[in-house]
Amino acid sequence: MADFMMPLHDLFQWVSEMPSSIAIRESLFFSPYLTVAHVVSMCIFAGLIVMMDLRLLGVGNMSAPFSEVQKRLFPWQMLGMAMSSVTGLTLAFADPMRFYVNIFFWTKMLVMVLAGINALAFHFITYNSVVKWDSAATTPFGARLSGALSIVMWAVVIVSGRLIPYNWFQN
Amino acid sequence: MLLPFFEWLNALPVSQAIGGSIWVYPFIQAIHLVFLALLAGAILIVDLRLLGVTMRSQPLAQVARDARVWFVVGLIGMICTGIPQLMQNASREYYSEYFWYKMYLIAFGVIFTFTVRRKVTQAAETTVTGKIVGLVSIAVWGSVVVNARLIGLFT
Repeated sequence: MADFMMPLHDLFQWVSEMPSSIAIRESLFFSPYLTVAHVVSMCIFAGLIVMMDLRLLGVGNMSAPFSEVQKRLFPWQMLGMAMSSVTGLTLAFADPMRFYVNIFFWTKMLVMVLAGINALAFHFITYNSVVKWDSAATTPFGARLSGALSIVMWAVVIVSGRLIPYNWFQN
Repeated sequence: MLLPFFEWLNALPVSQAIGGSIWVYPFIQAIHLVFLALLAGAILIVDLRLLGVTMRSQPLAQVARDARVWFVVGLIGMICTGIPQLMQNASREYYSEYFWYKMYLIAFGVIFTFTVRRKVTQAAETTVTGKIVGLVSIAVWGSVVVNARLIGLFT
């Protein structure tokens, strides 16, 4: 195990020994229902992110100016993100050592960070010029790049999340 | 009644091949979820507009028309990744109540979307009826997702 992972290993180990973590882990229905809620919240979050990304690519929701799509969907995207975070963190809290050894879990975490950086980069760079292309038939290259990266990265997040139960790379 | 069909489906060489590879089935499941996100987005943007809580500056009919193509793409993607999963698991899923709930809900949801919901989304603005239709749509498609996840967890 790489040295830089040791603090994380210790943190995950410490959480896994907490009585509340053990209690959730050992309850029969809590985790299954949490995964159901996690998928439902993913639909809200990823679904509305994709709707915005299609607008960025210039291929979907083109009747509305981009800023309208962005502003109106944003609160719902944040609701989806909050629900996904609460259900996801609770799932990780309940069985941290299962996730610690899982390559798909770490892929998902890493790509989520990259998707967040992509969103911030878009917000602080391309979005500044939105008045110039808000209702244009084609969106600028930066917007299309952000939209494409976002769709690809959130798809990777969803795929690696779904693959977590398959432990092909563990002994 | 359908059991012989499900058993035949399960016994097909291609169904056996899907189950025989450790990679194919999980990746089909994962791609199914990616199309779910697209389908859910296309449904939600219209339902939330019907409820009057998003895209308020855009006429309802325009939001609905823009979303329709992505609903169809999402639905086709779901069917194309859903059928192989059923083929590999047909004999088992036949006995899952959640599988049948899911199928009935999808049938209702698709018919509802292309009839009642399509009708109320042709207006510029939503009405009380429109709000009820939006709520029914969210409830039906949400139940599809819940039952779908329960097939895997409790079968």
